[in-house]
Amino acid sequence: MAARDDTERHGWKWLLSAPALLVLLVAASGPLMIVAVYSFLSPGNIGGVTWDFSTEGWFKVFFSRDIFEPENVSWNWANLTVFGRTVWLSVQTTLICAFLGFPTAWFIATRTPEKRALWLFLITIPFWTNLLIRTFAIQELIRGTGMINTVLMALGIIDEPLQLLYSNFAILLGMAYVFLPLMVLPLYAAMDKLDFRLVEAGYDLYASRARVLWHVILPLVKPGFVAGSILVFIPSIGAYVTPRVLGGGRTMMLGNLIALQFGQGRNWPLGAALSMLLLIVVMAALVFYLRAVNSEEGKRRG
Amino acid sequence: MSGNEIEISGLGKVFGQGASAFRALSDINLTIGTGEFFTLLGPSGCGKTTLLRTIAGFEAPSSGSLRINGEEVAAKGPNARPVNTVFQNYALFPHMSVAQNIGFGLKMLGKPKSEIDATVAEMLRLVRMEAMKDRKPSEISGGQQQRVALARALAPRPRVLLLDEPLSALDLKLRKEMQSELKRLQSETGITFVFVTHDQEEALTMSDRIAVMSAGRILQLGTPHEIYHAPADRFVADFIGDTNFLTVPVAASDGQAATVTLPGGTQAAARLPEGMIPVTGQEVTAVVRPEQATLMPAGQGEMQATVGTSTFFGTDTHIHLTLSDGQGFILRRQNATDMASPEPGQTVGIGLGAGTLRILKD
Repeated sequence: MAARDDTERHGWKWLLSAPALLVLLVAASGPLMIVAVYSFLSPGNIGGVTWDFSTEGWFKVFFSRDIFEPENVSWNWANLTVFGRTVWLSVQTTLICAFLGFPTAWFIATRTPEKRALWLFLITIPFWTNLLIRTFAIQELIRGTGMINTVLMALGIIDEPLQLLYSNFAILLGMAYVFLPLMVLPLYAAMDKLDFRLVEAGYDLYASRARVLWHVILPLVKPGFVAGSILVFIPSIGAYVTPRVLGGGRTMMLGNLIALQFGQGRNWPLGAALSMLLLIVVMAALVFYLRAVNSEEGKRRG
Repeated sequence: MSGNEIEISGLGKVFGQGASAFRALSDINLTIGTGEFFTLLGPSGCGKTTLLRTIAGFEAPSSGSLRINGEEVAAKGPNARPVNTVFQNYALFPHMSVAQNIGFGLKMLGKPKSEIDATVAEMLRLVRMEAMKDRKPSEISGGQQQRVALARALAPRPRVLLLDEPLSALDLKLRKEMQSELKRLQSETGITFVFVTHDQEEALTMSDRIAVMSAGRILQLGTPHEIYHAPADRFVADFIGDTNFLTVPVAASDGQAATVTLPGGTQAAARLPEGMIPVTGQEVTAVVRPEQATLMPAGQGEMQATVGTSTFFGTDTHIHLTLSDGQGFILRRQNATDMASPEPGQTVGIGLGAGTLRILKD
């Protein structure tokens, strides 16, 4: 009786979400569909696509044909290198953010409530400035005649400038800096909920500091790590600005490669295929990650 | 009881610094015997939990010494003391099963798995939780969590078990059950229990000895009997049980006992606390427990009073009286089936048996 009343009463209420659904459909699913469709079309002469079905876009993601002998197919190492570098740099960024974010979040969570607000405020300050500006600021720090090199040379520690810019290191530095707050905030949220009496209980039951951290604190703030890792990994793998500014033309990431296909490369289907690949990688990584996290939970329970 | 398990001398604890410093414990001197059920009793904010946390190692004392089993532990961390705590809200690890919670201490001590399993099984049996061993703490009731917390703290066989108001979150019936359960566990294990509570009844029924605390000091240390029948001062008398406080002038005093003039003019003997020699005519505070006074017909007894309201408590009735000089007095009478409460406004006599009247130190 009550259940039927509920359905009757709520029957039309889903309409309230219709505007949001419409926006999602048009603005999120729509472009995604276009990209999916474009990845199976042929490139136009001056960019764009011609409506001929082709798997050439997808083919070129992984393989390349010899210009003179098109039958001679080999792995497209240029793309695969970019792809591997993207995943590897994103994993490293996530790990670095986790290592740096944990003590930071712990520090904030163990302050008095008024001071916590201040520290959280400070953590979010970088977001007030445009990403591009912040990335150029990093460039200014590490470039050949930048601050770090100038200081090190003035101190006589090095004789000639270190080549820091336009390297994997530069990209990693930039991404870790940009995405660190995204790890700190969910970690802080998890620690804020942490019952510190459990930490005391751990000490009381003969656990050392390290073992309290491992057996009590880390399992309890794991949801924060999971959320933070997702928040850092996903934008890292699709990063464009940071590798563009700090990585230069040689050390590209997937985002730059995609942009290249839609710009100078004039190969929209290849760009679309790369975009879809990025989407698949992110989804696969998420599924794999969440499965691993949950199965560990299951083992613990069993 | 053989030997001293805990020896505390000159212990002080100050939180904060400078102007905002707060003295939580002042000059605590305390010896707790092996196998004793010792209770720290006091209102909230009296320092009892701070003292317990200092014994556990969660707070470092600002001054004084703390010995457990003869060994100075003031500078040691909680994980280096042979002491385990049952926390107020149990603090069970939510990500571990009941059995894993109980085995945690032994695991951290590096005991072999076979020994851990055997002890966990024994503990589960001891607290009657065998059927729940694979559940998570969130899947069992408050009383069951309480028993798991006990088992977890007992499993490593500590020399001392510290209990921080462990029963305060339970309802009355469960609390009574757990009180006898605690006594049973203590006698079965022979471990020294240090129990913190603000519930005076709980303290009286369970303890071998009680330390009554207020404002960071121990006011009185003694058996439940001593604390109840010979309270050291007004605070203890007021905090433990119900008490009538009478302001009366001293008629005569010889250092052992004194005679006071009760409202209405009758003179009665009253016991003096040690070291107090009042002068004749000095106003002192004398106390009488409500159940030690008897209701008598008007004209009889040591004092005369007018009946106010009566409150029925089942086993007994509290009768609120007004003495002839206007001071209030509560009398507690055990109920029998055919007993009628006295009518409000009626005049009655109050009988005070020998030794019921006791003078308190100022």
